[in-house]
Amino acid sequence: MATLEELQKRIQKLDDIKQVEKLQRIYGYYRDYEEWEKVVDLFSDNAESVEECDYGVYKGKEGVRRYYIDLLKGGKDAKPRPGYMSIGMQIQGVVTVDPDGKNAKGRWYGFFVEARPTLNLHEGELRQLWAHGIYENEYVKEDGKWKIKKLHFFLNFRTPYEDGWLKTPVVGHNGPSPEVPPDAPPTTWRPYPFGYHFPVHFKHPITGK
Amino acid sequence: MNLEELERQVTLLEDIQEIENLQKMYGYYFDTAMYQEVIDLFSENTESVEITDHGVFRGKEGVNRMYAGMVGMKRPGWMFFEVMQSQGVIEVAPDGKTATGRWYTPSFECRPFGGTKKQTWQFGVYNNEYVKENGRWYFKKLHWNLTYWTSFERGFLKVPKLSDTPFPHADAPATAYHPYPSGYHVPFPFRHPVTG
Amino acid sequence: MNLEELEKQVQLAEDIQEIEHLQRIYGYYFDNNMWAEIVDLFSEEQTESVEIADHGVFYGKKGIRRIYWDMFSGGDTPRQSPAWMQFVVMQIGGVVDVSPDGTRAEGRWQTWLCEAKPYGAYPRAEWLHGYYENKYVKENGRWFFSKLHWNNTFCSPVEDGWLNLPLMGWMPLPDADEPPSAFHTYPYHRNNVLYHYQHPITGK
Repeated sequence: MATLEELQKRIQKLDDIKQVEKLQRIYGYYRDYEEWEKVVDLFSDNAESVEECDYGVYKGKEGVRRYYIDLLKGGKDAKPRPGYMSIGMQIQGVVTVDPDGKNAKGRWYGFFVEARPTLNLHEGELRQLWAHGIYENEYVKEDGKWKIKKLHFFLNFRTPYEDGWLKTPVVGHNGPSPEVPPDAPPTTWRPYPFGYHFPVHFKHPITGK
Repeated sequence: MNLEELERQVTLLEDIQEIENLQKMYGYYFDTAMYQEVIDLFSENTESVEITDHGVFRGKEGVNRMYAGMVGMKRPGWMFFEVMQSQGVIEVAPDGKTATGRWYTPSFECRPFGGTKKQTWQFGVYNNEYVKENGRWYFKKLHWNLTYWTSFERGFLKVPKLSDTPFPHADAPATAYHPYPSGYHVPFPFRHPVTG
Repeated sequence: MNLEELEKQVQLAEDIQEIEHLQRIYGYYFDNNMWAEIVDLFSEEQTESVEIADHGVFYGKKGIRRIYWDMFSGGDTPRQSPAWMQFVVMQIGGVVDVSPDGTRAEGRWQTWLCEAKPYGAYPRAEWLHGYYENKYVKENGRWFFSKLHWNNTFCSPVEDGWLNLPLMGWMPLPDADEPPSAFHTYPYHRNNVLYHYQHPITGK
């Protein structure tokens, strides 16, 4: 029979998993409403980086701020564009917590329904789009709270509603922004139909590989 | 409450978490064409695997026949499966040795159909069984019910299924193939949380 | 940590798991048209209200019966939905918070739907999206719904998509206790459904 201490460790681990799932889902909800400052506040002050699609790698908490506020928001005083929508459903989260209980990783599917411009992030007529991709994120526990340490979103496709991924796999992506450039070029820009499988972080639960 | 009861409760919570992870990992392995990893998630005492109308494949040997042909095969880049595992409801039996799980799988795919590449929407429902062996959870029975498999362009109302897809090497025909618009409701493995 | 504190932590984990299951099971029952089973998921005494899309707000357990039994099921003469009529309301990503005394909880969920239902004279297939902000209550050791609020982001025919046709085929019910509280579909969808929780890091 387990001791009090062992039980404590086990319940703590379960709690950590649920907390990280909650953090990622809250990220999704803030993102849906374009509350970019709240999104930035979900990252650790010692955040490593954020990298999505082909925008490139933005390093450190400063990079996270530049990515969400300067690039995605369009500037700290920018107003949301009427008719803009990007709802990203966070699905199928598999969270693994390190034995030290201070670091964790999570893989999620992101399934998006969008109405947004495709000329670039902010300009051009609104088009309705389907998008899908994979998050492989890292989290860190600081002062008893789980925060995002590294966010890496790999885009699978972003296709016009009328066309579908087979016909038009990617629209609206033209590489890193010249106005808000990243700290490093994109590391994994291989959208459909490249055939690239974004590797899973977790070990096989049976074979351990 | 004493320590023993607490341990039972903690174990139950761990079981649910582990089974959720098992099912989600199955999804990720399947989508990334890691078929050996998929096979390794099944118990040596697997009852069966039944996917849409492919038919029933019995035992661990059936699992091998179902997936093994795809192990190591290189998928062309344009072919993909994204079968998202969502809304899992897991019920563990009181003895803590078996469990059931219901899941939804909204999906997009692109695969060969006839002579062409076809982009498709798909939806399916899992009614699965799991078993705990040597302290670890495995799949015991996988049953995926097809709701629709339709072309992106037409949608499920116009074209609920592109075709039937029975596999000739199955052990038995499909037990419950009733795609849209049959109105078939896949029975629940779980009990009503209030009335039981 | 002592035994008592450990017990509290285990209880909280169980509560969250049970509420997640409750919400997901609600979704499964809804999709299978099991309206009586849904009514039984709501608290008898402590149900506040149910609000779905623009049907309006209905108070109490009486309101639950009005919506699910009368409206969806057809009341005393239950209607048999034609087989082609389909609701799939996928329950995605819950954020569940339990009160410190462990008797009440709130949950935010996202839903993605594929539906086929009549509109005018024809069957139409639609994509829908919606958010839940729900409340739950614990009675006799079991969790029940005490408030269900489903807000619709868009309901669009598959042929058109949300940009072209964000809303079709909804209806306010004449006997609602209150008009809908937050019904603004795309493109007025932002910040409609307020979060029940504070920011997990800043606490705001």
